[in-house]
Amino acid sequence: MHSIRPRLINENGLRVDGRRPDELRPIKMEVGVLEKSDGSAYVEFGGTKVFAAVFGPREAHPKHLALPDRAILNCRYHMTSFSVEERKPLGMTRREIELSKVIREALETVAFLEEFPRASIDVYIEVIQADGGTRTAGLTAASLALADASIPMADLIAAVAVGKVDGQLVLDLCDLEDKYGEADMPVAMAPRFNSVVLLQLNGKFSPSEFKKGLTLAQKGIAEIYRLQQETLKKKFSASRPMEV
Amino acid sequence: MPIYFSEHEVVLPGQLLSDNGKRSGEGTYSVEGKVYAARIGFATVKGDKIHVIPLKGVYKPMPGDRVIGVVSDVKPNGFEVNLGKHLTGIIRIPDKEQVQNMRLKVGDAVYVKVKSSGLGGVLLERDEQIKKFESGLLVQINPIKIPRLIGRRGSMILMVKKLTGCDIVIGKNGLIVINGPSPKNEFAAMKAIQMIEEEAHTSGLTERVEKMIREIISS
Amino acid sequence: MSLSSKKDLTAKIMRDKIYSLLLQDKRIDGRDPKSLRPVTIQTNLITKADGSALVAMGGTKILTGIKVEIGSPFPDRPDEGIFTVNAELLPLASTSFEPGPPDERGVELARVVDRSLREGGALDLKKLCLIEGEKVYAIFIDIYVLDYDGNYFDPALISALAALATTKIPRYEVVDGEIRKTDEFSTLEFAALPFTTMIGIIGEKFLVDPQIDEEKALDVSLIIGTDEKGNVISIQKNSPGPIPVNLLDTLLDVAIEKTDEIRKKFLQEVPAKLASERGGGVESRI
Repeated sequence: MHSIRPRLINENGLRVDGRRPDELRPIKMEVGVLEKSDGSAYVEFGGTKVFAAVFGPREAHPKHLALPDRAILNCRYHMTSFSVEERKPLGMTRREIELSKVIREALETVAFLEEFPRASIDVYIEVIQADGGTRTAGLTAASLALADASIPMADLIAAVAVGKVDGQLVLDLCDLEDKYGEADMPVAMAPRFNSVVLLQLNGKFSPSEFKKGLTLAQKGIAEIYRLQQETLKKKFSASRPMEV
Repeated sequence: MPIYFSEHEVVLPGQLLSDNGKRSGEGTYSVEGKVYAARIGFATVKGDKIHVIPLKGVYKPMPGDRVIGVVSDVKPNGFEVNLGKHLTGIIRIPDKEQVQNMRLKVGDAVYVKVKSSGLGGVLLERDEQIKKFESGLLVQINPIKIPRLIGRRGSMILMVKKLTGCDIVIGKNGLIVINGPSPKNEFAAMKAIQMIEEEAHTSGLTERVEKMIREIISS
Repeated sequence: MSLSSKKDLTAKIMRDKIYSLLLQDKRIDGRDPKSLRPVTIQTNLITKADGSALVAMGGTKILTGIKVEIGSPFPDRPDEGIFTVNAELLPLASTSFEPGPPDERGVELARVVDRSLREGGALDLKKLCLIEGEKVYAIFIDIYVLDYDGNYFDPALISALAALATTKIPRYEVVDGEIRKTDEFSTLEFAALPFTTMIGIIGEKFLVDPQIDEEKALDVSLIIGTDEKGNVISIQKNSPGPIPVNLLDTLLDVAIEKTDEIRKKFLQEVPAKLASERGGGVESRI
């Protein structure tokens, strides 16, 4: 495969896919795409393509998992075998198990689970193509699917990764930048209250790079949040209060 | 006291609704003296509170509600009834013989009344309050849309019943049983109910439903 | 081990309704007993896969992706390429699917698709051999059910074939008994085009392509695969119910008619190459 490390920033300061360092990839969002779930969404960040579906609130089963004072949130982040360059073996990898956990914890930060004691809310994320930023796209989609399912929550979650490639801070890493870059930091926020709900770092940042990176992430998140709001408003734009 | 929404606009989770935290009602929450929407829906002012009426939602059982379910278990001390979407109601009957006399089997569709709902689960009324359906087409819609299906003073459902000649029993949990004079009439009623669910939040719905039913019946 | 499965709870009145409608040649969604739901096929949406297709049959949606690798042939068939079919019933698709490794329904789906492709002779495996006894193409066909509204069998096979039809196979040169990857790609040519039709049976009546309420009400179903010459190439009886033996002739005729309909639709939408006389396999496009 690519044994030689490609040049990630060219002489004009542009990235491998022609973007400026602070530019997001083309983003596509849609809600209500899967009929059998209670809420669903489809999100694309460039070549990264993700479905999310929500079931519930419904009676938790097996019953002993139920909590007396709130709903349990189940989350599964999963990738199809053909979503990546080398075919992924079937079953959950350690990476998928970890990402399921950090995504669940991000969603639990905003969802008002105490409104549904003893119930469960199930969130399923399926990455059908991975081109960098699958956890952030997955979380962005899951938050749309939760909103579509009308699960009460304090805010939508918007997420994006920032990183360092060829010494340059960049927004919304693609696969090549993730693979050959020096750092990758996925960030998710509930923008209304400026709360960080997911934060991971893989690589090396100086403290000042970290600060600048976080600011860059916030800039991307503001744009993603705006697109989420637009997508939901558009879906229900023809709606009026029920005449009863 | 300013509010930040129009009653005809869909609000989103996190959207600021009011600067007065005391006005936080259903479907909203307050932080630092301000009210925000917690769900997608229409914000509305009722009394001194702001509520968000969601576009979708789960059925929350209330005592006295008439619901439709499917018997999912028969036990010595009563029955379990599936009320759709993984919600189970329990009919408690202390007398084993009485359970047998009721002749309810797994798979029977029943019309029942909610007795109570709480941490112990959903309890259903027993005896004469239980009606078993002998036939019918079972349709499920989002329970939030039931008021639209019924319409103002029952106007919508009366129209559907009249035009299709069908008997339609509505459970508050979103399950509906249709019995009609012919498959075509039942199909028309089912399509009408599905249209009302999908287009509950649009205007001119009554006219469109009427037109569609007439088209199906006359085809 | 296979256990009696907890059947999805179905209201008896629905089963009775579906049956009484069938007695009048009618169905709850307005179809007649022998009509299929609309099929849409979208290909090449996963560029990281070597081939891909998203197929919807009514409300049931299936995504299949193909990965082509190099592997070793089976010892008893040293001159043939290999293919493997996997299927996952994703929990996104239905409340009746659980997260976890494929359960027996997923395994059954994969095997029914596998059998239809294999026994239907869709691919000429001899053309997928690079060095006899050593190096062959290994094709992974991975099927994911995204939205389940009844009958995942027929759209799963359609999506597998559509994904195969659009698969780009990297070409290799054989130099001194070693293989070397080139920059060129070939496409697959089908030796046959098998499709299946799911037929549901209640009492002595039947319907094709059940939607979910019908599927839950069925006594039993039969998935019948046929090829373009009208041969029956695969059969799977599904769920524990009896099939009246005198119904089987009729069902076979219905399956041939319906798979022909699916095949016609497929050939309109997918740039599939079907070798009519000679055997299919890898053919250069360059």
